[in-house]
Amino acid sequence: MEESRTDREISFFRPRGTAMRGEVRVIWLVLAGWFAAIVGIQACVYLLEINYSELLLEEMTFFNLPIHFWLTGQVLPLWFIILCVLFNIWMDRHAARRLDGALRFRVRSGREDE
Amino acid sequence: MTESAVQLLPLAIVVGMFALFIVSGLRTSSRQASEYGVAGGYTGRIGIGAAIASNWMSAASFLGLAGMFYLTGYYAMAFVVGWTGGYVLLLVLMATQIRRFGKYTAPDFVGFRYESEAARTLAAIISIGIAVIYGVAQFRGIALIVSWLFGIAYTPAVVVGAALVVGFVVVSGALGVARNQKLHYFVLITAFILPLMLMARKLGYFWILPQFGYGAAIRDLQQQFGFAWSEPFATVTPFRWLALCFTLMFGTAGLPHVLSRFYMVPSIRDARWGVVWGLFFIALIYWSAPAYGVLARLFEARGGIVLNSSDPMVADMAVLSAARYSGLPLWCIGLLAAGGMSAAFSTVAGMFLTGSASFSYDIYPRLIRPNASEADKVVAAKGFFLLLAVIVMTLALRPWGMIAEIAALAFALAGNTIFPAFLLGIWWGRANAPGVISGMLAGVVITFAPFLAGILPFLASLPPATSSAFIGAPLVILVMVAVSLLTPPPGDGIKLFLARNVHDTAEE
Repeated sequence: MEESRTDREISFFRPRGTAMRGEVRVIWLVLAGWFAAIVGIQACVYLLEINYSELLLEEMTFFNLPIHFWLTGQVLPLWFIILCVLFNIWMDRHAARRLDGALRFRVRSGREDE
Repeated sequence: MTESAVQLLPLAIVVGMFALFIVSGLRTSSRQASEYGVAGGYTGRIGIGAAIASNWMSAASFLGLAGMFYLTGYYAMAFVVGWTGGYVLLLVLMATQIRRFGKYTAPDFVGFRYESEAARTLAAIISIGIAVIYGVAQFRGIALIVSWLFGIAYTPAVVVGAALVVGFVVVSGALGVARNQKLHYFVLITAFILPLMLMARKLGYFWILPQFGYGAAIRDLQQQFGFAWSEPFATVTPFRWLALCFTLMFGTAGLPHVLSRFYMVPSIRDARWGVVWGLFFIALIYWSAPAYGVLARLFEARGGIVLNSSDPMVADMAVLSAARYSGLPLWCIGLLAAGGMSAAFSTVAGMFLTGSASFSYDIYPRLIRPNASEADKVVAAKGFFLLLAVIVMTLALRPWGMIAEIAALAFALAGNTIFPAFLLGIWWGRANAPGVISGMLAGVVITFAPFLAGILPFLASLPPATSSAFIGAPLVILVMVAVSLLTPPPGDGIKLFLARNVHDTAEE
C-alpha cells in the first residue's frame, strides 16, 4: 500500500509517463542552455577582464557596443527568447503527436469493437 | 532636481495620457468582465504578451533601470538579465501548470495545493509584504516625476503622488474602468523609445536602433571626457553579480502579480506563446534602458556637470535628465514623464487592489472576523487599500535605496518564499503543508536577515538582502523537502490531481 502511494507521487527527478518524461527532458535541456549562457558569458567577461586590460574590453566592440555590454545586455535576452521559442515549438509538436496517437488508438479500438 | 515652475505642457500630456487610458478602459469594460479590478482583454497571443508586458512594466523598468545604469554601469546588467531570464523559468517550470490548477491568486494556489488554511494565510501575508515593498519603489518614481512636474520638493511630492494614486483608483473604480493592456503597452513603449531615437539622431548616432547606437556614446564619454564606468567586476565580484541576477530571476518566477497572469489565459498553448511575446516586449524596454543612463552621463559631460555624481535621486531621474539636457522638445519630455507615471500608477494600483483583495478574503475572515459577510469584506478591502497607501507613502518618505534596489528587495522576498512554494507544489507531490509553512517562514527570515547585521555582526558577511535568493531559494527548498519528509504526506486527492490534471500522466 505504502509503495503504491509513493508511486503515485509526482517528482521532477522521477517523471512518470511518456509525456512527462519527454517534457522533463526538454526542460532540463532548456535550463542547461539558460544556466550555461548566463554563467558562461560572465566567466568569459571576468577572464577577459583579469587577463587583459580594461582598454581591451572597451576596444572590442560589436555594433558600437563594448563586447561585454553586447553579450550580456543584448545577446542574453535574445537567447532567452530563442530558448522559449524552441521550448514552445517542442511542446506544440509533442502535444500534436500525442493527440495524433490518441486519435489513432481510438479509431483502432473502434474498429476492433465492430 | 526640483525646478520651481510647474511644467504645464508635460503636465497636460500626463493628464491626456491618463484620460486616454480611462476612455479606452470604459470602452473595454463595456465588452468584457472585470478581473480583480485590473481587467485585461485577451485577443490572441500578441495580446496576451502585451498584457504580460504591460502588467510587468513599472517605475523600476521605466526609470529605475536607467538610474542603476547611470550610477553603476555594467553591474546594472544583472537587472537586465535577471528581469528577462526569470521568464524562462516561469515558462518551462510554471506557466502551463499554473493554468491547469485553475486558481486565481497566489494564496488560492498555496491553499489548494497544500490543503492548508494556515499556508494560504501566510502566502497572503507575504503577498501583501511584497506589494508594500514594490509599492514603495513605485511611489518613489511617482514622487520624483511629480516633484519635477509641479516644481515641489520630494517629501510633499510623495504625499501628492499618494493622493493621485488613491484618486485614480477611486475614479477608475467608480466609472468601472477596465485596463486596455494592449493600448497601455504600446503607448508606454512608444513613450520610451521615441525620445531615445530622437536623442540618438540629435547626437548623430545610429538612431534607427538606439539600443545599439548608444555604444558610440560610451566611446565618446571615454575619449572626449575621460569618463568610464569601472571594469565589470572591479567593484563587485562575479559572485555578487550572479547572486543579484539569480535573485531577480527567482523573484520574477515568484511575484504574485506576474504569476496571476497565467491563471486567466484562454488555453495552455496561448499561455506558453504569450510568455514568448511578453518576454520580447519586455526585452524591448531592457535593450533600450541602458542607453538612457549612458546618454544622461554624456549630456551632463557636455553641459559641464561634474561626472562623479553618486546621488541616488539624480540617478533615478536619469531618463528625464537625458531628455531634458538633450534639448528635446518639451512635449517629448512630457511623453516620457507620462509613460513613467502611467507605468508606476498601473503597477501600484494593481498591486494595492490585489493586496486588499488578499486581506479581505484570505486574512480578514480567517483571522480577524470569522463571521464576516460579503459586505463586511468589501468594506475591509476598501479600508485596507487606504491603509496600504498610507503605509507605502510613509515608507516612501524615507526610501532605503534607489527605485531598482527597492524593487529588488520585493523580488528577493518573492524568490525566497512564493517561488519555492510554487516550484515544489507543482513538481514534487510529496511537498506538504508543514513543509511549505516552514519553508516560507525560513524565506522571510533569510530575506530580512542582512538588515540585522548591525545587531548580529556575523550577518554582515552575507550577500545583501536584494541578492539573498541566490542562496536563500535553494535553502528554502531544502527546508521544505526536509520538513515534508519528516511529516505525513499530503492527501491522495491532491496527489491524484497533480498526476492527472497538472502533469497528464493518465496513460500510465
